[in-house]
Amino acid sequence: MSEQVADAPQDSPRPDDHEAGAGRDPLSMLFQPGAWRLERRLHTRPVYELYATLIALAITAVIIGLLVIIVGVSPLDAFASLYEGAFGNRESALETLVQATPLILTGLCAAIAFRAGVWNIGGQGQFIAGAIGTWWVYDTFPGLPAPVLFVAMFCGAAVFGAVWATVASVLLVRYGTNEILTTVMLNFVIDSGLSWLLSGPWQANDTPYSQTERMVESTFLPRFFDDSRLHLGFALALVMAAVIHFLVRRTTLGFELRAIGVNKQAASYKGVSVGAAIIAVMAISGALAGLAGAGELLGLHHRINFEFGGQAVGFTGIIVALVARLHPAGVIVVAIAFAGLLNGATQMQVGTGIPAALVDVIEGVALVLVLLAAVACRYRLRKIAHHG
Amino acid sequence: MEDFFTYSVILGIFVATFKIATPLLIAATGELVAEASGILNLSLEGTMTMGAFSGFLIANETGNLWLGLVGAAVGGGALGLLMAVMTATVKVNQIVAGLALNILGLGGAFFWYRSVYEEGGAVAFPTVDRFQTATIPLLSDIPAVGEVFFDQHWLTYFGILMVPATFIFLNRTKYGLELRSIGHNPEACDMRGVGIISRQYTAVIYGGVMAGLGGAYLSLAGGNQFFDDIVAGRGWIALAIVIFGNWRASWILGGSLLFGFLEATQLSLQASGVDLPYQLLLALPFLLTIVALVFNRSRSQVPLSLTIPYHRGER
Repeated sequence: MSEQVADAPQDSPRPDDHEAGAGRDPLSMLFQPGAWRLERRLHTRPVYELYATLIALAITAVIIGLLVIIVGVSPLDAFASLYEGAFGNRESALETLVQATPLILTGLCAAIAFRAGVWNIGGQGQFIAGAIGTWWVYDTFPGLPAPVLFVAMFCGAAVFGAVWATVASVLLVRYGTNEILTTVMLNFVIDSGLSWLLSGPWQANDTPYSQTERMVESTFLPRFFDDSRLHLGFALALVMAAVIHFLVRRTTLGFELRAIGVNKQAASYKGVSVGAAIIAVMAISGALAGLAGAGELLGLHHRINFEFGGQAVGFTGIIVALVARLHPAGVIVVAIAFAGLLNGATQMQVGTGIPAALVDVIEGVALVLVLLAAVACRYRLRKIAHHG
Repeated sequence: MEDFFTYSVILGIFVATFKIATPLLIAATGELVAEASGILNLSLEGTMTMGAFSGFLIANETGNLWLGLVGAAVGGGALGLLMAVMTATVKVNQIVAGLALNILGLGGAFFWYRSVYEEGGAVAFPTVDRFQTATIPLLSDIPAVGEVFFDQHWLTYFGILMVPATFIFLNRTKYGLELRSIGHNPEACDMRGVGIISRQYTAVIYGGVMAGLGGAYLSLAGGNQFFDDIVAGRGWIALAIVIFGNWRASWILGGSLLFGFLEATQLSLQASGVDLPYQLLLALPFLLTIVALVFNRSRSQVPLSLTIPYHRGER
């Protein structure tokens, strides 16, 4: 994204282009007086990006509507049941927020790393590392008083997530190993590691399943309402979004990470220690995904089970971050919208028979179109003035 | 353990080496051509999954496996075309575009599979009558060598054949050399009048077609059905093999075979009931990829403009 920073000034159309080139060069048609011309904007106002994103999402809805028609269902029925399941009533709206909680954190995980031009695709693995860290603290220090234990468990999650991300960032800084591939590989590695823990050392005695024992009730995160699973983790996710916004905008590290995101070499000439900044950003990024793991464990599941491997919240976080154009506030909005899709898709499948996997297609199409729109909004169509 | 070092087990490992290496090899040689033109296509995992599905769909509907391969090529090529539009024409950041198409490929295959084969919330998991190995007469009768080299799937021969073919294409043909010059210095090519965008389209679509065929090996030759996790990280490993192989066709063959060998050894160790947690063996290919990337840091052949989009008239 950095390469489009420099805007070359555009030649202004000259009237004699018309006289000289008309009729010979087909391209000169574009330069004829009165013709439309596509040209680079000198300045792209941030609000244009928002408009472009909204237009892209509208086109996504049209494409998905056509797809639904092909499957043989009325798109209005499909969208209505999707909306009904996502935000239709108080219960489903609150459940959407429950599902948005980990997505906000993994979205922030991807957003902050991508801002720095560090491609952390390992949110999924760091999420699992966070759950493992939480359980490790719980299992190792059973005697701690409740408030201390909560803090220790969240710290454990953040540290485990950060450490798992740091494996990749150290390899990147020390050996130049492509962090995209190492973080992806580490996802697979920790998936196997978790499977080993759950069927071996940490397996509960009372079940044949691959899962840990249920945690004691004093470790459950408080819930906001009696009739919903919405837990304190949601508030934590919102706070972290604010913290990340502050960190990126108002701190030295934030300046450094934006600088290396635009141009590592220039940042290094300016005195930024690129290696240290990469390590710091990856640690923060991993810690955010780790917190998501703690939130899911302490707020919802209360035991580590197969659901931690299968949820793919880490991957959805990447889509959330990119559709939100890496803005922390946008991450919250997009995470809630995507959680609504996930939540509503179940109802849509029951009501209309469309496979819930439609959500995967929606996410993919939305992401592709948002990316295209982000480039498109840097251009404008201008009508060239008529001379004579 | 002494049972492990028997003739038949070791022969089995070598036979399996080629089988496991095939999808990696096909996808990696295609990706090599795409990267040679300066475009990093990170969407191999999703493209292979789409190829595995579209190949399976066509083969299952028509009953013809060869048409299935055509379907896989079309499915992979379509994603390659989309990648080319996004990166060569619109010039979206290549890493982001690759991630996006990965998601679209995976999601598209999952959804499409379910909308065709799901009945009342349950998938029937249909199977196809998969490719049999193509036994080459006479040569396959040679003891050991025949079984390892001349009793494999057509796609395996095809993958191995693509190694010299890719080498000759990239190093000895005009078009291939132009492609590589675009990957190194697009500005100079533009001044010489070499069409950059058309060649990048060709290279990236070709890479997508090959990834699709690599995926089809999994659903039509190596296995006989499609399931969500069918590619299981092989797309990412193929990307790593291109880097590990320092963007040389011959080293990519070596890398794929090394992977195939280690994986085959692991599988037969597992079958011989060795006392190790199976999860360690599952994680092994991914750990090995990381180790390989750390130890082989030779970048002498990397296309210099890889991931850098070309804008005429800038810089």
